[in-house]
Amino acid sequence: MALTEYKYSDVIHRCFRCGYCKFPTSFVEVNNCPAYARYRLESYSTGGRLWLIRAWLNDELDWSEHLGEIVYSCAACKNCAEQCPLPFSGDIVDMIVAAKGEMVERGSIPSAVKEFLENVDRQGNPYGTARSKRGEWMEGTDIEEYRGQEFLYYVGCVGSYDTRAQQAARALGRVLQKGGVSFGVLGNKENCDGNDVGKLGEAGLFEALAEENVRQFKDLGVRRIVTLSPHAFNAIKNDYPRLDSAFEVLHYTQLLRDLVRARKLDVSSGFNAKLTYHDPCFLGRWNMEYEAPREVLRTIPGVELVEMERHRADALCCGGGGGNFYTDFLGGSEDSPSRIRARDACATGASVVATACPNCLTMLEDAVKAEGLDDRLKVMDISEIVSEACPPKGN
Amino acid sequence: MDIVVAVKQVPDTSEVVDVIKIDASGKDIERGTLVSKINEWDEYALEEALQWKQKLGGTVTAVAAGPGEWDDTLRRALAMGADRAVRVDEDATVIDCSAVARTLAALIRRLPYDLVVFGAQSEDFGSAQLGPMVAEMLGIPHAALVIRLQVEEGEAHVERELEGGTRELYTLRLPALLTIQTGINRPRYVSFASVRKAREKELSVMSLDELGLSPEALTPAVELDRLELVPAGKRAQLLSGSAEEAAAKLAEILRDSGVI
Repeated sequence: MALTEYKYSDVIHRCFRCGYCKFPTSFVEVNNCPAYARYRLESYSTGGRLWLIRAWLNDELDWSEHLGEIVYSCAACKNCAEQCPLPFSGDIVDMIVAAKGEMVERGSIPSAVKEFLENVDRQGNPYGTARSKRGEWMEGTDIEEYRGQEFLYYVGCVGSYDTRAQQAARALGRVLQKGGVSFGVLGNKENCDGNDVGKLGEAGLFEALAEENVRQFKDLGVRRIVTLSPHAFNAIKNDYPRLDSAFEVLHYTQLLRDLVRARKLDVSSGFNAKLTYHDPCFLGRWNMEYEAPREVLRTIPGVELVEMERHRADALCCGGGGGNFYTDFLGGSEDSPSRIRARDACATGASVVATACPNCLTMLEDAVKAEGLDDRLKVMDISEIVSEACPPKGN
Repeated sequence: MDIVVAVKQVPDTSEVVDVIKIDASGKDIERGTLVSKINEWDEYALEEALQWKQKLGGTVTAVAAGPGEWDDTLRRALAMGADRAVRVDEDATVIDCSAVARTLAALIRRLPYDLVVFGAQSEDFGSAQLGPMVAEMLGIPHAALVIRLQVEEGEAHVERELEGGTRELYTLRLPALLTIQTGINRPRYVSFASVRKAREKELSVMSLDELGLSPEALTPAVELDRLELVPAGKRAQLLSGSAEEAAAKLAEILRDSGVI
């Protein structure tokens, strides 16, 4: 498409390079944009990226692998949309996604992104691992297949295939059982939710995935869904409804909060630690859920919750969004956002950083090791913390 | 310039290696749970053909000899930019290259072509014979394992990839056939939407009959006896010492085993 056909052609030039997109509200750091934090070049900040996109669509700039990487280094974290003072700020991430969409249609995308998308198309997950292995995380548990129970527990690709995230998937299963929740999983029949496929600009593949999932859920009589990942939560809550789906969807921290309030979940064994909570972008800025995870953590005896300087809407993205947990455009440096975040967590004096997203869990786990902080900082998913706080006997 | 590209659809086995099982007949793998995809080498061949069409104008025709499921790969080729696709309806379990070569040669003879491109080999059987056989049957020159191509004024200047990074440079007069090595280019991504749009392009199917080929004429010259999985090795030897010491031990082991 030419610039004139681009959906945001009337506003894309209106960025006047104020740089707010790089900051958190408190201006305490200038690197709250994960890509800018990594590269410290204007091209990688939202403002710079938008001007490069405009130039490319206007044929002033040829596509190159480098341009592709600049555009795809956006982790879709929404810090820019949160901070931009202009009236179209809410559309900013969509503007970048629309540009990625044009790259996808022209076939010109970085190889890592091509692999991600082709793997999802063929095997239902970005790793390209066989579909037949998607349910292996359940081995050794007595988690049941979905057969009409009250909740569908939707695990997602990272929780199903990544070995660290599988531990969170199992922990959540155990916690749901302890809370007396009636639930089942799809196992090998689960397919990618498509959230990151959509944020990578492959709208056609996203629609196909969403349609198939909606059909599958309807055929199985699903009414309520609880997700491990905020990415799945975001897609099912905000993007699936236009496909005529009427499911109630909760992120697991919201369900745990409800269980704790209704006194259905016994966490009396407690968890003794000073801990800090890392807000995941797709739960926090994308869906404004900052309270439920904190409420769950605060009810656990022994937990001392301290906040990082940049938290809630100002949280620094772990850099795993926009497919980057696989494509890794933001990795390989002490300025990688995940490593900065690990240092942020350490600076609170906490011995545990709690996550509520399997992507954040794996990104921060690797970052803590890369920083050499693994002797004093543990990365744990809230599902794992709650699981430890549940007494072993009784249900 | 008119280019014909031969493509094949193969099972996706890249990340699913320990999922492969030999079937009851002992002559094939169990394909039930496997997803299929375009043969990787053919993707590079298609991309190369499309880039030359963009530079010099002309047409790209994608051809295949296989069953109905292979239309997926031909649609993908059309979505990438091929102008038309033709499939000869044939049972893909025939692994004898000479039979497939005769089929494709019969088809390609009926098409206008300045250049015919094949992938250097297939992911499943990996014989690398098909391209050179078809070239011989068509009576045109060929070069295999092409890693670089330059086309100008009726000639193809190619670099062939040999062992240890050695390259051979050839000039072939067109029409000619080339088999393409991976890495020659970076194949474009094919979006979901573009595959849907490609349904508007021509994909025709022909029978062996229409090509004047009888099943008898395609009697395999090679027959598969059986397929076996290599048993997983359990021996590992850990070499200790400094890098120099370990390297010396390793060299000795490799020499003793006849590897070097």
